[in-house]
Amino acid sequence: METFFTTNSWVILLMPFLVFLVNGLFLGKRSWRAAAYFAVACMSVAFFFAIKIAIGFFSHVHEHSYIKGWEIEWLRFASADILGFDLVANVGMLLDPISIMMLVVVTAISVLVNIYSIGYMKEDPSAGRFFSLLSLFSFSMLGLVSSTNIFQMFVFWELVGASSYLLIGFWYHKPSAVSASKKAFIVTRFADAFFLAGIIAVSYFTQTFDFIELNKLATVETLNRYAFLGFGTVNVLTVGTLLIFAGGWGKSAMFPLHIWLPDAMEGPTPVSSIIHSATMVVAGIYLTARLFPLFSHSPLTMDVVAYVGAFTALFAAVIAVTQNDIKRILAFSTLSQLGYMLFSLGVSKMVVEEGGAINSLGYSASMFHVFTHAAFKCMLFLIAGQVIHVVHSNNIWDMGGLRKKMPFTYVSCLIACLAIGGIWPFAGFWSKDEIILASLQGGHTVIFAIGLFVGGLTAFYMFRLFFVTFHGESRKELHHVHEDPFMTFPIVVLAIPSAVGGYFAKDLFHHAFVPNMPLHIHELSHPHWLPWVATSMGLSGIILAYFFFGRNKFTQASSIAKAMGPLHTVIENKFYFDEFYLFMTHKVAFRFVAAPIKWFDRKIVDGVMNLTGFLLHAGGAIVRFLQTGQVQMYLSVMILGLLYFCYRVF
Amino acid sequence: MLTFVTPDMLLPILALLVLSIDLFIESKNKTAILFDTAAAGVLLIIVLLFNLPHDQEFYYLTNYKVDGLRLLFKEIFAISLFFTILLGKGYARKNGNWRGILKYDSEFIALLIFCAFGMFCVVSAQELITLFIGLELATIPMYFLTAYYKKDQSSLEGAMKYIIMGSLTSALVLLGYSFWYGAVGCLRYEAILSFVQTNPDNPMFLAGAIFVFAAVCFKLAMVPFHMWAPDVYQAAPTPVTAFLSVASKSTAIAFVITLLYGPLAPIRHVFTYPLGILACITMTVGNLGAMRQYELRRFMAYSSIAQAGYIMLALVGNGKMAVPSIIYYLFIYLATNFCLFFIISVIGQKRPEEFASLRGLAKQSPALAGILVLCLFSLAGIPPLAGFTGKFMLFASAAEGGFYGLVIFAALNSTVSLYYYLLLIKEAYINKPEEDLESLEITFTQSFSIAILTLAVVILGLIPWFSSIITKIVG
Repeated sequence: METFFTTNSWVILLMPFLVFLVNGLFLGKRSWRAAAYFAVACMSVAFFFAIKIAIGFFSHVHEHSYIKGWEIEWLRFASADILGFDLVANVGMLLDPISIMMLVVVTAISVLVNIYSIGYMKEDPSAGRFFSLLSLFSFSMLGLVSSTNIFQMFVFWELVGASSYLLIGFWYHKPSAVSASKKAFIVTRFADAFFLAGIIAVSYFTQTFDFIELNKLATVETLNRYAFLGFGTVNVLTVGTLLIFAGGWGKSAMFPLHIWLPDAMEGPTPVSSIIHSATMVVAGIYLTARLFPLFSHSPLTMDVVAYVGAFTALFAAVIAVTQNDIKRILAFSTLSQLGYMLFSLGVSKMVVEEGGAINSLGYSASMFHVFTHAAFKCMLFLIAGQVIHVVHSNNIWDMGGLRKKMPFTYVSCLIACLAIGGIWPFAGFWSKDEIILASLQGGHTVIFAIGLFVGGLTAFYMFRLFFVTFHGESRKELHHVHEDPFMTFPIVVLAIPSAVGGYFAKDLFHHAFVPNMPLHIHELSHPHWLPWVATSMGLSGIILAYFFFGRNKFTQASSIAKAMGPLHTVIENKFYFDEFYLFMTHKVAFRFVAAPIKWFDRKIVDGVMNLTGFLLHAGGAIVRFLQTGQVQMYLSVMILGLLYFCYRVF
Repeated sequence: MLTFVTPDMLLPILALLVLSIDLFIESKNKTAILFDTAAAGVLLIIVLLFNLPHDQEFYYLTNYKVDGLRLLFKEIFAISLFFTILLGKGYARKNGNWRGILKYDSEFIALLIFCAFGMFCVVSAQELITLFIGLELATIPMYFLTAYYKKDQSSLEGAMKYIIMGSLTSALVLLGYSFWYGAVGCLRYEAILSFVQTNPDNPMFLAGAIFVFAAVCFKLAMVPFHMWAPDVYQAAPTPVTAFLSVASKSTAIAFVITLLYGPLAPIRHVFTYPLGILACITMTVGNLGAMRQYELRRFMAYSSIAQAGYIMLALVGNGKMAVPSIIYYLFIYLATNFCLFFIISVIGQKRPEEFASLRGLAKQSPALAGILVLCLFSLAGIPPLAGFTGKFMLFASAAEGGFYGLVIFAALNSTVSLYYYLLLIKEAYINKPEEDLESLEITFTQSFSIAILTLAVVILGLIPWFSSIITKIVG
């Protein structure tokens, strides 16, 4: 199994990091174009390695297999000869089905987004910096997915947070971009604090960071006990896994920590594309999948995962219906799709079975959806960027009638919308169908219903976007409408996996992507009506969207909006969550927590410092005053010294 | 076995050589020849010292001892002498500096070398007469050197104060010795040691010791015997100030260490704690005094008073680390202080040696300004520079004896010192010069010395082997 490419898998990490350094220090300032080509070339090398590893790995796959590409000791927190046990954080690359899949997806999307950015960023004066930071982001994400242990993952996890901060706030002269980047960073950091607490709690009891070790049954037995953890005596397994999951909760922007994600649209569109398709936001899903064997032994954690995911899927889809900003629609759709991936993991625990057996379908379906979603969501963002580039507005009501002017974009968008809408035989159909099936098999009826309904809702809001943007009359004077080749190429390339990727990959995911744990294989029901129902939900969403928005008359739509009245306003304003958080931070936290601390800092801490400074200066003045220049004085002081010695010695 | 004392014997020969070159050779650039000959000679002595075996003991005529500890001290003296000569060269060249030209080069160099010879005698002495003669030999030339700008009134005033107070100190030392002789009946260290072992509480002997330590405190500029230091440092020519602040101070420390770890070892604990208390007061007074100075040499005086306080604090621990940590710190202190004095000499070429003259340095010579920052941070004890490692070991030595209160006090003092070291950096980087600056002239000798010393400041801190070698030799 070990090949040249697995032992040299470090190349995949080296390449983006090299680009970051070279572009950041040298190329970026001289020629952004050179920086861009260098980035594309290096990321292509990384992609080539990832593909080679994937082919080698999946060509003779058997269950529960993994390779450690390489691993070295990094930090030794405790060593056996002193404390009696070892606690070592390694650095390495773990190659197993999900990490290899992510390596391929992330490198592929990095290459395509870099190509796209050549067109998108060509008028930006700081494009060189962009190509440096984008590679830093790719590096962080690649390091995150290939970590061999949870400590290494945390380091890269924070690097992802930091580099996303830099990218979202890329246009730092825009106040909205600055506040969006701060919001993303602070919200995810808030969640990461729990993640770190979880790492500490779990590693304290298991004395290991390694994923392979953590996922063993013995670890579960070690953790499944009651112990005092800071705030009370609790089950370590439940609290530890929940704390770790909290990190993913924030990164994957699950309700109620979803607020950073729509604002993150303030970054350049290629950034949104890479963050929202396969990188930052799926980190939480990936973490849950990575530790799935551990998580699955805690029923409470699994329920939280399932219900948080399902609720976010519904909640975000409802908001997406009312939004007018093309990137915000896509952002809420991302939230909704992430919800799918998450509850798919959660429903792997079957409630119908006594003791709760694991249905590996939920796990593989989730990973499958990560894969297909990466393709079509990345593509949708690239399309949005293309359209914004032409229209110079994010508002879909400023667009319209772009079908004729941008034929490639139009067709690609149709494919992507069909894929995300879950229409047979496009990619999204296969993965979403499996997710819904898994929730039905698991006995989670409510979640099953939500999944089915949100499927229809997804098709509706996506085709609303599609019709309003591309059909009808153009609502704005447009000049030089053209499709930049650099920007069109990645879109067209991504259309292929969005269209047929699901059909061809479904068997691979079904067989190779099973959690690394002992499974009891059950023959589960596979109702034949389900694909029909799911597709018809999607189709009815499309028909409704056509009815409301496809005929260039929006009277019905606005009358319904009017009829809904306050409810529509509430949804359009995203249930006022941003306002709620603003109230909590500005009115409550700032006033009752920050203000007293500020007072203490200004008055007490600074006061003590100032007093110290004053006293020292006074002392200095005394010393200078005594230094009179008179020898008599000097000599008499010496006598004092002699007396001091006499006093001390006798 | 005479090789052990060859370096010591070469010193007076070198001094005489320099004087005779001045007498017999006529040349336009005699100044350069004199300084270069002297520097080459001292370099030879340094090489000889480093090549001697540091793990053997040798007695010359029974009362002149050479061993690893003494060789290390002699290396410190010789290296400071070397850099003082190089530093002096810049002040003796034709255009001189702001205070005038340093004349009578051969005498200047010879006095410095005799001074160093006296210091060599102080560390090697095994009986009190040699010790006294060495001490005087190390001190009397300094009086002349301080007054080297003969026409400068303040220079003469400073030298006068130095002579008056120095004479009192010599009197105190002699008084102390005579008490000791009265108690012991012999001047040799072995005799004193055996006497102290049997009579640790002899009041006459202790009274003598008080006088001797008072004298040492004067040499070290410990509070309250420090009052002479700012005046003398300011009065003396800058190379002499540098030599005073490094070599003279090291001599006094060598004196204390050879006594406390030699004949007075049995009653060491009686003196280390009072010295530790004085050390803490000293660093405080030094730090407070340095806070609002405008004259660079006076500033260095207060800074070195504070540094002496840190160094003496290590003695309080009474442990294995005390002596190695002090010697290690002296090497670092030597490199940092001389580096700073070289920078001062470059700046003081055309301007007064004042804070204000540093203005615009960062623009005019970024490298020099960077080195200034490095040196000041090293003196303030910021990691990873040598000063941090050195200070850490000093404090660790005091903590070894359990004197945590004193260590905390010293650490706080070290924080205060950062304030005034930063003031210099502020002058170099932030404050704008009032008028257009003349360009800085930097000679090859100066840049060479600054390069070597900077390297030492950085490397001594980063590489731990140096301190372990010292520990091996001394411990």
